[in-house]
Amino acid sequence: MFSWLLGKNTALSKHVDTFSKTSVAPASTPVQQAYFLVLDLELTGLNPRKDHIVSIGWVPIRHQEIVLSDARHYLINSPVSVGQSAVYHGLHDHQLKSSNDLADILTELLSQYAGYVFVAHHSRLDEQFLRIACQRCFGKTPRFKFIDTMQMEWQRLLRQGKVVKHDALKLPSCLKRHGLPDMTNHHALEDAYSSALLLLSQLKLGGNSMTLGDLYLLSR
Amino acid sequence: MEVADVTTFLADITPFNQLNDAALGQLAGQINVYYYQAQDRVNINTDRLMMVRTGIFTLYSDQQQLLTKLQSGDFYGYQHLLTGLSDNDSLICEEDGLVYWLAADAFHQCRYQYKNVDIFFQRLFSRRLHQYREQQQSSRFTLKISDIVQQRKIAIRPEQTVQAAAKQMSDSRVSSLLVEEHDTLVGIVTDRDLRNRVLAQGLPASTQVGQIMTRQPQHIDRHAYLYEAVQQMSQHNIHHLPVMEQNLCCGMLTATDIMRSQQDHPVYLIGEIHRQTSVDGLERCSQQIPTLAITLSKQQVPAHEAGHIITTITDALTQRLIYLAQQQLGAAPCVFSWLAFGSQARMDQSLNADQDNALLLEKEPTGAVGEYFIALADIVCKGLDQCGIILCPGNIMATNVELRLSLKGWSGRFARWIATPTPEALLKASIFFDMRVIDGSKGLFNALQEDILQRTTEAPLFLYHLAQAALQRTAPLGFFKNFILEPDGKHRQGLDLKKRGISLITDLVRVYALSAGIYEINTRRRLQQLTIQGVLDNKDSQNLNDAFDLLAQLRWEKHQHDLQQGHDVTNMLDPMEISGLARHQLKDGFAVINSAQSSLKHRFCRDM
Repeated sequence: MFSWLLGKNTALSKHVDTFSKTSVAPASTPVQQAYFLVLDLELTGLNPRKDHIVSIGWVPIRHQEIVLSDARHYLINSPVSVGQSAVYHGLHDHQLKSSNDLADILTELLSQYAGYVFVAHHSRLDEQFLRIACQRCFGKTPRFKFIDTMQMEWQRLLRQGKVVKHDALKLPSCLKRHGLPDMTNHHALEDAYSSALLLLSQLKLGGNSMTLGDLYLLSR
Repeated sequence: MEVADVTTFLADITPFNQLNDAALGQLAGQINVYYYQAQDRVNINTDRLMMVRTGIFTLYSDQQQLLTKLQSGDFYGYQHLLTGLSDNDSLICEEDGLVYWLAADAFHQCRYQYKNVDIFFQRLFSRRLHQYREQQQSSRFTLKISDIVQQRKIAIRPEQTVQAAAKQMSDSRVSSLLVEEHDTLVGIVTDRDLRNRVLAQGLPASTQVGQIMTRQPQHIDRHAYLYEAVQQMSQHNIHHLPVMEQNLCCGMLTATDIMRSQQDHPVYLIGEIHRQTSVDGLERCSQQIPTLAITLSKQQVPAHEAGHIITTITDALTQRLIYLAQQQLGAAPCVFSWLAFGSQARMDQSLNADQDNALLLEKEPTGAVGEYFIALADIVCKGLDQCGIILCPGNIMATNVELRLSLKGWSGRFARWIATPTPEALLKASIFFDMRVIDGSKGLFNALQEDILQRTTEAPLFLYHLAQAALQRTAPLGFFKNFILEPDGKHRQGLDLKKRGISLITDLVRVYALSAGIYEINTRRRLQQLTIQGVLDNKDSQNLNDAFDLLAQLRWEKHQHDLQQGHDVTNMLDPMEISGLARHQLKDGFAVINSAQSSLKHRFCRDM
């Protein structure tokens, strides 16, 4: 009845529907068989209601291998100035002018990666931003399945009986702890790649019997 | 879309460091990344190239024998990709690490597109250490006798007449004939002989060739270098050299043949040396050596041939100095041999070599005989020093009274080293076991060499200590295949290519050669002989030979570099100054030395 209100969004919203309908592998699936999409967003700030996405980077993991041929990095048109956030991600307004519409990128994300388990370091923030972005673009919020490498790291350290300090869960500290190369520099693709390396290491440490369900529990 | 971490890493490793940014980005975009945990087994029967990013992986044969360890920058799977054949090896992760996988298509595409990448993997596959360089045309500076001498033997029998000889020479349009009896060379006869020894003497045409021929003429091996022939002709002032192959005469080399083949050969320097009448003149000749070295290097003459040429020049200088000394002092009071040790003896002398020489005398060096050779040694050693071959800091020179001995004296000295070896004495003495006669009597020298080899072949204790001495130093390769750099007085950190490389091979090959009674002195020839006699197996010997050539080549290039920069010539190499591929090969070379040293230890130091 109110479809005219949504206008062009009707056509687009079907991506959201398809995405939501495509079921992620059941919780009993061994992690070796699951498909993951590790992503990272660079933002104008930390408030999902007020701030915006300036760039997005992702790498898929299939059969425990990071597939670089499907790695993507996009700069996003921001409706407001990136302002002071440029200090972190190094992206300035003039660079973003020739960049992409958020709706196009979200469309690619939803249509290509339905059925994937999404992964981010401190995923709550990324998930909130993605949900709100989808709501704005398509008028609908898809059902994401997210796991969080930061949360998993925290659980792992707690189980080892370690006192977890404030800085110990930041991505560079985690990479160092796992003996992985640290190239993080607040670049969405580099950080997504680093998080993917962290996830591979965490999956190995979890042992052969780990399932997706275990990951969900650890990410809570 | 490229990830900077991956691209940066690829840009750092051989052979991809030769690709441009765009090609690197494209390559990086085709990679899959996998994380292995210790104990994981790598599935190697995939059609992909494995590149180790971090961690350590151990390769085992199907008999569970440890083959090698792969670490950052190493590859696996190229064997299968290149040949389609799979191994039964297994690859186990030893320390957690990341691996980059490159699909077959991407690998082959890269290989076809970049020749150097292809060459790199082909070489890696054959595990050979050959130089990374286009196959060069055979340089005219390193022509061999066999390259120019005609396969045409014109011979006559000694009982034939000089008239028959003259007719044969004029029919064949040659200026000389070989004289053979039962297929054995007994002499030569030249048109000059017919003039001076027949016509001028009024001998009849029926005179037999055997009466006027030059008996037991100087001759040369068919596989010798041409400049050695030049050297021999200049030294003896002759123009005809019978060419021998395995004791059979196969032709004649004339001065004209040589002239025709190389009008402007820089090694005519040797001819010039033999024309000098003063030490100052020799010094002027020797000043051309660095220029000659640079020319040789520009012609891409391989290091071992260049070493041979430089040694030949030192030999010529020594011979001429001995000649000049005798002009001054009169003829020697007894037969003597002028000996060279070390690199000059092995014919792998480099530009910064010092003197290592001695005198072997027919009589005891007492009284007038002693005085004469003191004077001779003094003139020759000082003369060599003036010509840039510096006095030996360790005083291994004929001017040292302990190194002017009779055959009995030398024999006794070697006998002591061999019969009652002490480790310290052998460390210093090992140089004496590489010995060659430069001038004077060959017979005297042969007697000494025979005497020594007879003793060394039956002296396990001596060989034990000699092997121990050869094992004192190791190749500068760390446990994880990293270079161990050492500081040098003047220079920055580096690898001493001589002390920690070339010498190690020379030392260990010497032990084998002495144990097997091999007469050869040159390291490459010793290796050949050791293979022929079955002392070393073909592969080990080939690997050592390759490693030796590689190190000699790097040192030769380093010296060239020093010369061109006007620096002092040194053996210290900064591994960062050579290409990634050369570094890779250098590591392989050092690994060859390591394994050869452990075989040596196993063979000679077991039962003691």
